[in-house]
Amino acid sequence: MNAPEKTAALAKSGKRATYCYQCVAGPDLLTVKIVDGVATEVEPNFAACSVHPGGGKVCVKAYGLVQKTYNPNRVLSPMRRTNPKKGRNEDPGFVPISWDEALDTIAAKLRSIMQAGLLDESGYPKVAANFGGGGTPQSYMGTFPAFLAAWGPVDMGFGSGQGVKCTHSEHLYGEFWHRAFTVCPDTPMCNYVISCGANVEASGGVVGVWRHANARERGMKRVQVEPHLSVTGACSAEWVPIRPKTDPAFLYALVHVLLHEAARERLDLPFLKAHTNSPYLVGANGFFLRDAATRKPLLWDLKRKAAVAFDTPGCDPALEGTFSCDAVEIGPDAEVLAQGRLEGSPSFAKLLAHVQPYSPEWAAGICDVPAATMRRIANEFLDHAQVGATIEIEGKTMPYRPVSVALGKTVNNGWGGFECVWARTLLAVLVGGLEVPGGTLGTTVRLNRPLAERLESVTPGPDGFMHYPMNPTDRENWSPRPNIRNAYRSMVPLAANGPWSQALGPTHFSWMFLKETPKGLPTVTLPEVWFVYRTNPAISFWDTKDVSATMARFPFVVAMAYTRDETNHMADILLPDATDLESLQLIRIGGSKYIEQFWEHEGYALRQPVVEAQGEARDFTDIATELARRTGLLEKYNASINHGSAGVPLKGENWDFSLETGSVHGRDAIWNAVCKAASAELTGGKEVHDLAWWKENGLATKPFPHTDWYLFPTLVEQGLRFELPYQERLYRIGKELGNRLHENDMQWWDEQLAEYQTLPVWKDFPGLWEKSLLRMGGKTADFPFWLLTSRSMQYSWGNNVGIQLIKEVADNIAGHRGVIVNAGTAAELGVEDGDTVEIATPLHSVTARAVVRQGIRPDTLLLIGQFSHWVTPFAKDFGVPSMNSLVPMSMALTDATGSGADVVRVSLKRTGGEK
Amino acid sequence: MTRWAMVADLRRCVGCQTCTASCRQANATPPGVQWRRVLDMEVGEYPAVKRAFVPVGCMHCDDPPCMHVCPSTATKKRADGIVTIDYDLCIGCSYCAVACPYQARYKTDRASFAYGKATASEEQGFDPKRLAVATKCTFCADRIDAGLAKGLKPGIDPEATPACVNSCITQTLSFGDVEDPQSNVSQLLAENQTFRMHEELGTGPGFYYIWDKKVEETPS
Amino acid sequence: MKDNFGVNPWHQTNWDFRAAFNFMFGGAGSGLLLIAAFSGIAGNALRAELLLGMALIGAGLISVWFEIGRPLRALNVGFNPHTSWMTRESYAAGLVFALGLAAVWLASQPLAQAAALAVLMFAYCQGRLLQAAKGIPAWRVPALTWLVFTTALAEGAGLFVALAALFDTPARGALAYFSLALIARALAWSIYRSGVSKTAVRAALAVLERSGKILIQFGTIAPLALLLLGLLAPDVARIALLLAGLAALATGWQFKFVLITRAAYNQGFALPHLPVRGTQ
Repeated sequence: MNAPEKTAALAKSGKRATYCYQCVAGPDLLTVKIVDGVATEVEPNFAACSVHPGGGKVCVKAYGLVQKTYNPNRVLSPMRRTNPKKGRNEDPGFVPISWDEALDTIAAKLRSIMQAGLLDESGYPKVAANFGGGGTPQSYMGTFPAFLAAWGPVDMGFGSGQGVKCTHSEHLYGEFWHRAFTVCPDTPMCNYVISCGANVEASGGVVGVWRHANARERGMKRVQVEPHLSVTGACSAEWVPIRPKTDPAFLYALVHVLLHEAARERLDLPFLKAHTNSPYLVGANGFFLRDAATRKPLLWDLKRKAAVAFDTPGCDPALEGTFSCDAVEIGPDAEVLAQGRLEGSPSFAKLLAHVQPYSPEWAAGICDVPAATMRRIANEFLDHAQVGATIEIEGKTMPYRPVSVALGKTVNNGWGGFECVWARTLLAVLVGGLEVPGGTLGTTVRLNRPLAERLESVTPGPDGFMHYPMNPTDRENWSPRPNIRNAYRSMVPLAANGPWSQALGPTHFSWMFLKETPKGLPTVTLPEVWFVYRTNPAISFWDTKDVSATMARFPFVVAMAYTRDETNHMADILLPDATDLESLQLIRIGGSKYIEQFWEHEGYALRQPVVEAQGEARDFTDIATELARRTGLLEKYNASINHGSAGVPLKGENWDFSLETGSVHGRDAIWNAVCKAASAELTGGKEVHDLAWWKENGLATKPFPHTDWYLFPTLVEQGLRFELPYQERLYRIGKELGNRLHENDMQWWDEQLAEYQTLPVWKDFPGLWEKSLLRMGGKTADFPFWLLTSRSMQYSWGNNVGIQLIKEVADNIAGHRGVIVNAGTAAELGVEDGDTVEIATPLHSVTARAVVRQGIRPDTLLLIGQFSHWVTPFAKDFGVPSMNSLVPMSMALTDATGSGADVVRVSLKRTGGEK
Repeated sequence: MTRWAMVADLRRCVGCQTCTASCRQANATPPGVQWRRVLDMEVGEYPAVKRAFVPVGCMHCDDPPCMHVCPSTATKKRADGIVTIDYDLCIGCSYCAVACPYQARYKTDRASFAYGKATASEEQGFDPKRLAVATKCTFCADRIDAGLAKGLKPGIDPEATPACVNSCITQTLSFGDVEDPQSNVSQLLAENQTFRMHEELGTGPGFYYIWDKKVEETPS
Repeated sequence: MKDNFGVNPWHQTNWDFRAAFNFMFGGAGSGLLLIAAFSGIAGNALRAELLLGMALIGAGLISVWFEIGRPLRALNVGFNPHTSWMTRESYAAGLVFALGLAAVWLASQPLAQAAALAVLMFAYCQGRLLQAAKGIPAWRVPALTWLVFTTALAEGAGLFVALAALFDTPARGALAYFSLALIARALAWSIYRSGVSKTAVRAALAVLERSGKILIQFGTIAPLALLLLGLLAPDVARIALLLAGLAALATGWQFKFVLITRAAYNQGFALPHLPVRGTQ
């Protein structure tokens, strides 16, 4: 085989700049101290302080990288499984093999697939791949994306956490409404935040934590609404211990106060009239009344006293009342539902009527929060909104609305997620606080394109709103034959069809449907080859026992293995890739990115080998190149790198560093070209820096305008409105999707179809989990507790459970050693701190040490993080369970976006004394 | 004169443990030996509960009980307020550990490593002198001294600043000279309300906790 | 295992039974040496008592030697006479051994009495040593010095009386001194008790209370009653005095064992103000 090229000798001492992007809240820029060729210490890259929005600091997870490198439990040579039987109780019998043997085995398998066809009889890709951590593994997998692109169709829709462990509703609806894959307050300028379970102090990364600490000291008030007192709750001005999964009722009550108790003029009426669909007239069937000729939605102009098209200049639209006009009402599948003289009301009026029943008094019984508290919070929100205020940033005058609502993970996925996201965005809209300074902002796009240019993703769409790349629901284009196993294209229009869409569909369906494919879809098949990298779905997904059993059926699994773990326990080949401090990659940084990553710079940062790779671990780029060569895909692979799959197109306006496509290029040669192209792109071709320069400097940036944090000016420029509060388009596509499914005799998605509403109604969301308990054969009274989870800053996304330092410091934070139980509840059950308790559903049970605390509702239990490892060295001895073993995976608990929530009803009993 | 001191703004701390991890690494302490530690404290009863994260460690007291009790004179206080331990003198009697009201001192009798055997990085940092003697936070005195020798300002220039302060992602921790009225820490103390841990014991800790800003005096 | 670093005080783990032995044996040994030197005994009897007293003190110090991390550097213990009661304790011990051994060698009562004065310093140092441990609320109470000191007197006297009772009926003077030591210890306990209740945590107070009760009931009242019985009923006097002496010794030892290994909760952490997070 081709040995990896000779690379430059590594420094034996000094500091090298690199990055950590182990979690979605990164990247952090750091230096690693080297003594006698050994990495000893991680430090912030102090040279990056001035460009990094978190003062250039580095998250705790990065401090584990030194131990990560030298962990004696690493897999350090390629391994082959010798036991053909797979399963939790089967010893895989891994034996070391050469890289040649490993790569040849994989390449032979891939070539046989190429000969037989890349899709199977059901039309699904025969090759599947899983990468964890919200896309962060891409910052470590070198040029593997180029290999995948050269290969062709790959199923990347097997879930490993997506949909239950992310803010799924926010991803989909957020992108739809305001190009917001994730949503956050404009923390540096915000003065009042209602945070429903958003655990920014644990999951916001350095930048989130930095910004909130500054805001706190400045006096920003954050009200934390959640069943347990998280670290974020701890750092908030107020904690509201709400009953789990009742957040929609809480938020609806706030909306009610704003719409039915506050003086109308305290809302941002000009914003509602000009920048939302509030004035659009809605007909009897729930669809907009439209101009018969142009099909444009109509609004009632108070000046002209007539219905006019929404984009008529100089009108003063009515927000309330009922009006009669010549119009047409068009339903799903372009069906004309009514035409002629029709009566309609502005959607704002519909909204008023819709939220009328949702008073704080109504919500109090549901949420277990006093009505007075909700009313006070609503009024504080309004008082802080400063409706009418403006601010000048970089010479641009913009509205200034320093109030926001943030949503947490379990609030934001599964049933009730849509309602929360809608109500949250509506609260912003009512005070004109969406996408303006101080208000509620989207961060980045992953479903809209281009991925790196959020503002450029805004293009005009129908009815005065932004375009959205919805999956088709019309007769001509909808298909019951999905491209991948989780069927996102057929079932979830909002998931769009970009590179990220596969992971944003109902990713648990891939696992569920392998057992039984529902009627109408092609039988879901096992992938013939499955690549796994930096993910451990056997631990991190829901219903993990079942997921493990299913993956044991996969015929050929290739796992890039750091250490042995529960997923690669089922692998056929283990490949040791060089880890964070051993390998090379350039990534894009800055601009605006997930969670709270808002920079005033953008550019690139290099991850470079700080020390020699341990054992036979090999850089992922070299692995990808070899796979491409051995499968005969080298040309396409190189072409894909040239095209930009390593993060930067190698050819620009006046530069060309393209690789010769017919040859094998070593890691350094490839990244040298990428480095040159990146520096050229940053400087418009003026400066070209090679790999050696980047290794020395670590990063390079150019300014990113602060004003580009806000979407509102772009909408104004393009004369577009936010598609709120009324959801005519969603209602329509829901109806159309229903038509398509029913035409194909698919009735099993009917409950989900009901989520497509113009104005979402409150449903008994907690009741859905109680019903699920009944289906499991339990009675509500026997399982009185809500089991929840919460992120751990020390672990989340980090793939670092095997790192001793991380375990040690994480244990300083309460709950890392067991299940958090309310002190009163514990006393009633005779449970003392440290006792062993059993947590059970009717189907499964786990044991844990009790961690008795005051900061949790009496009806709630909390298991931080996700442990319960049974293979991963070091972690398998923690003795801490995970709720993932208890959460059932079911169609009934899947919402219309294809997501579920981390909630389950359980019982709790003491089984023994202190462990 | 110079009096080095640490200021922790409790309003800002989120208990992320970055300082602890950074300290463990920078000072190559063995597993479990956390010279800089952050407590997770809960106060009150449900639902009126508050939770606070509190960085602790050696307070580098003005009047250090550990120094007074030390029979070997291993523990000393420098003129700049830093309390030090001479590992060559210490007999490992742990008298200092019971004398310290801040549980800041550790004694590790045997070499211990993250995964049993020392890894390459642990071998690099291993110092047999530290076995079976008292150890504790040094305020990263070596960095301060080396930094000062280069003309750098501790608490401002990272190279001359304790590792925990450098690593702190919330700017909870600040380090500087409280005798210098213009210093970062003096400014913080002037602008905010602070306390010191167990002040009633009269140890005069060189570690201040900010809990609120000073109330602006209104003219009567 | 519970979380290590809670806000609540947890028990110190630095000193275990080996340190406790130093206070137990050292106290009894010094008390014995003291009473022996002034009891009027002479010759081999004096030699034996002095040797036993020094053996006990030595056993305590050896026990500590097994606890320290760097036993080969043990002599460094003498480097800080300016402020360290541990250094001072070691000096006092040295003096005790020098004078005591000389007294044994020469069977000299004056030298024995000089050693007894040194042993008073040693017992006092032990009390101050504990009291200077500011990190342990149950120890830093000033009254503890006198409790440790009087316990040493009572234990030593108890041991002396018990040993004497094995061979003969002890002298009235020794019994009077023993009684006074018991009463002094009981008084010191009561003063310490009221002091410690203001500083120590509930868990520490609970074990101290139990231990103190034993000290009073079985370590004060019972031996005094036995002494009285010995006076009133000469037939059983020797056995009564033997029991009285052993009771005084055993209860003192149990108290100090508890003090070091069960009641030594540390200071914990407490915030006089909670941080203000944003506008309230």
